[in-house]
Amino acid sequence: MSGDTVRTIRFALNGRAVAPTVSTNLVAADLLRDQESMKGLKIGCDQAVCGACTILVDGSPTAACATFSFMLDGTDVRTIEGLSDQGALHPVQQAFRNNSAFQCGYCTPGMIMLAVALLERHPNPSRAEIIEWMSANICRCTGYKMIIEAVEAAAQAVGELS
Amino acid sequence: MSVATPLRVIGSAAPRTDADAKITGAARYTVDIDLPRMLHARTLRSPHPHARLTSVNASRARQYPGVHAVVTRNHLEGLNPTYGYFIKDQPIVAIDKVRYIGDPVAAVAAETERAAVEALALIDVKYEVLPTVGTIAEAMDKQAPDLFESEPMGIVPAYGQGASAEKFPAKNNFYQFRYRTGDAATFAEADHVFEDEFHFSRLQHYHLEPFVAVAAWDHDSLEVWSSCQNPFPLRKELARVFNHPEQNIRVHVPLIGAGYGAKNNCKAEPIAVLLARLSGRPVRHCMTHEENFLTQSQHAAILRLKTGVKADGTFVARQSHILLDSGAYSDASPLVAEKAGYRIPGPYRWRHIDTVCDCIMTNTTPAGPFRGFGGTQTSWASESQIDMIARRLDINPYDIRKQNFLALGEPFVPGESGMDSDLHVGLDIVAEEIGYHKSNRAEGRGIGLAVGFKDSGGVNKPATVQVKATTTGGLIINCGTTEIGQGVTTAFTRIVAEIFNCPVERVRYAPIDTDITPFDQGTNASSALVVMGQALEIASRECLDQVMVFASEQLDCPVADLVLDDWVIKRGDEIHPLQLLIMGYYGGTGFEFVGRGFFKPSTDHRAPLESQCVSWEIGWGAAEVEVDPETGRVDLLKLVVSGDAGRAIHPDVCRGQDEGAAVMAIGQSLFEGMRYRGAVLENIRAVDYRVPLARDLPIQFTSITQEQGHGPGPFGSKGMGEAGILPVASAIANAIEDACGARITSLPITPEKVLSALDNLKGPDET
Repeated sequence: MSGDTVRTIRFALNGRAVAPTVSTNLVAADLLRDQESMKGLKIGCDQAVCGACTILVDGSPTAACATFSFMLDGTDVRTIEGLSDQGALHPVQQAFRNNSAFQCGYCTPGMIMLAVALLERHPNPSRAEIIEWMSANICRCTGYKMIIEAVEAAAQAVGELS
Repeated sequence: MSVATPLRVIGSAAPRTDADAKITGAARYTVDIDLPRMLHARTLRSPHPHARLTSVNASRARQYPGVHAVVTRNHLEGLNPTYGYFIKDQPIVAIDKVRYIGDPVAAVAAETERAAVEALALIDVKYEVLPTVGTIAEAMDKQAPDLFESEPMGIVPAYGQGASAEKFPAKNNFYQFRYRTGDAATFAEADHVFEDEFHFSRLQHYHLEPFVAVAAWDHDSLEVWSSCQNPFPLRKELARVFNHPEQNIRVHVPLIGAGYGAKNNCKAEPIAVLLARLSGRPVRHCMTHEENFLTQSQHAAILRLKTGVKADGTFVARQSHILLDSGAYSDASPLVAEKAGYRIPGPYRWRHIDTVCDCIMTNTTPAGPFRGFGGTQTSWASESQIDMIARRLDINPYDIRKQNFLALGEPFVPGESGMDSDLHVGLDIVAEEIGYHKSNRAEGRGIGLAVGFKDSGGVNKPATVQVKATTTGGLIINCGTTEIGQGVTTAFTRIVAEIFNCPVERVRYAPIDTDITPFDQGTNASSALVVMGQALEIASRECLDQVMVFASEQLDCPVADLVLDDWVIKRGDEIHPLQLLIMGYYGGTGFEFVGRGFFKPSTDHRAPLESQCVSWEIGWGAAEVEVDPETGRVDLLKLVVSGDAGRAIHPDVCRGQDEGAAVMAIGQSLFEGMRYRGAVLENIRAVDYRVPLARDLPIQFTSITQEQGHGPGPFGSKGMGEAGILPVASAIANAIEDACGARITSLPITPEKVLSALDNLKGPDET
């Protein structure tokens, strides 16, 4: 089998230092799900189109299905599992909960991480900016409107916190 | 919109019961099942749309490092290796022929998915390529090759008054359904007879959790975890295919990452089960995104309608011929044909109906159940034609619908149940919301209405359920309805909490395990509330009765003197915690009260489908568009959809069903669809197949949940998960004609089609 060179990488996973040993062709989605037990990360299309596998790498939304594990070396990685702070939900999670902005829930971790990245860059986005940003990911269930409203509600909550 | 009295939990805006799991990443799906020693399966699929298998040699693959089992046609001995709903025609792996690109030929179980993929390349298959049929027209041609040289085993179920069916009625035809009522001579009473043809496109379901199953054998016991909408029919089919006793097959269904109809019956399961048996290890079979496209799709269709009307717009008679593109295997096509054939009249009064629906085989992905289940196809054609007829007769399309609607309670056809929604109410709501009656339309803009229609509750579905009450007032629902995103765990825990007059937090929805869960036919046909919901209400009330009778015996008074409130019995000012009463009588270790519920519509030969439809699902829609005459571009400015929840158990869940279904329909209306070139699917890759994104929503997009209160489900509720997809395409097409005079009769409505229709309006001299 080619491409099986093994190396150890170091990165922060939800604030905790990890140093997994990975083959060079291992994708981040498999590393995080299978070796780091981050099962909240979901693989949908596996082609960086649907966004179900969205994680934050140094704050940037990233398709974990199309990212090699070695690319995580030295980065700060966040998944849905690291979002709540000692049991307190992140405002985006709270808004998705209150607005029922999910149905089957399979796209939800990716949608929430995408929205978190938006609000970290633009704490006060317009509705048009929210729609454009959230158009990076696919939800086949909800029809998006309740997701857009949840992100608006989260932005307002973040604004009130800061 | 609510007219009903407030209840304790029903109608509350509190979050869904599955919210915390789904927003924290704790929710677990079949893709997350990870067993010790589990192998991974991959499937070798046919590169040819139609070919005879001359040889399959897997000996090199079997030797590949990490490979533990390889399945080919040589491993089917002792099995009933084909499956299907009415017709058992689809093999686990190809036996004599392959019939579409993607037809499974062999499968490998290996230590890793990668090893399995690499081993597939070592399987040597020789094909004798055969002529292909890619379309309905090609398949029906006298010279066309036959997909099946001999007829597979199948059945035709009993039908009632006016309905009949035949399997393999003609070349490359799986099944023909026919429904007739009234006399064909009635057409003579019509002042006008209009014949129109409509074409319906084909979506892929695009559920983000792929088809996935895990199978494990322990001696004679088979255990399966599956992302499956109907665990009990799946268990039955696996028992038949593998000649294995049903009691030794146990199916678990975790949360489902959506299905929209696709995840009924065998999909990923048979290959997982067979590889697990051959390897002696648990096997996970998780398909890729492309494999989803090669496993199931919606039915493309050609619909020909002949409709007779009086000069004043009164409907008289309708004949129709529907051709469904069923793909290479029958799957649920005969069932979809029943429903498409049956629903083509729409919610209107006719004196004669004669409808035929055929399931045509083509060398393409097998088509199966898809949200709307034939009703989407028929609503597209019928609601388009009704608008066309109104315009031809110079009658307002709103008026012609109102003039011909079935009344609340009026039977759909002779022997059938009555409408359980007031059709006028819904149409007035969407017409008002979109401003239909305002006289001035801006240049290039138009408004269209449509009323999508289907029955809900399936045909003759039995449902059983159990509700248990523990010593401390915990309530446990054992129910086979799967949580596929529709919110059934939220709805059912609320119904039980309401009946027991307690907070919803007291109620648990137990995981589905066919060893323990009472029987259910499946989570489909918008049947959860109207079929299982009725059983759930019976089970809850039976359990509650036991509790109240017990309390009355302990307190030595009539039940009528007692009130249950959050597991405390109140008698006037007295308070008696039930826990103490129970432990006082049954001992300190406590007890459980158990209620069981059963519901099934009665068998009824006067009803065309052998039992009356439980409920009717109506999707009212209104669209406003702007058409650019230079480019043919259609801008969907405003979309209004409205469904009738009967009673909204959870208002946000109802809203989400309507909006999600409507957005699926926006894609189908304007751009989405599987594109075949001959028998080759061109846009199979995720980057090529476009589904609606947030930016595709109309700027004004409104859903209005009606609560008309006439539903047969608990508290007057009805199913509404499919209604929103039904009216959108025809409402848009009707709006386009209103805007520019051009009529589009095929989906999706692309700018090319609009331009071409506009050119045809101008006539040959002006183009």
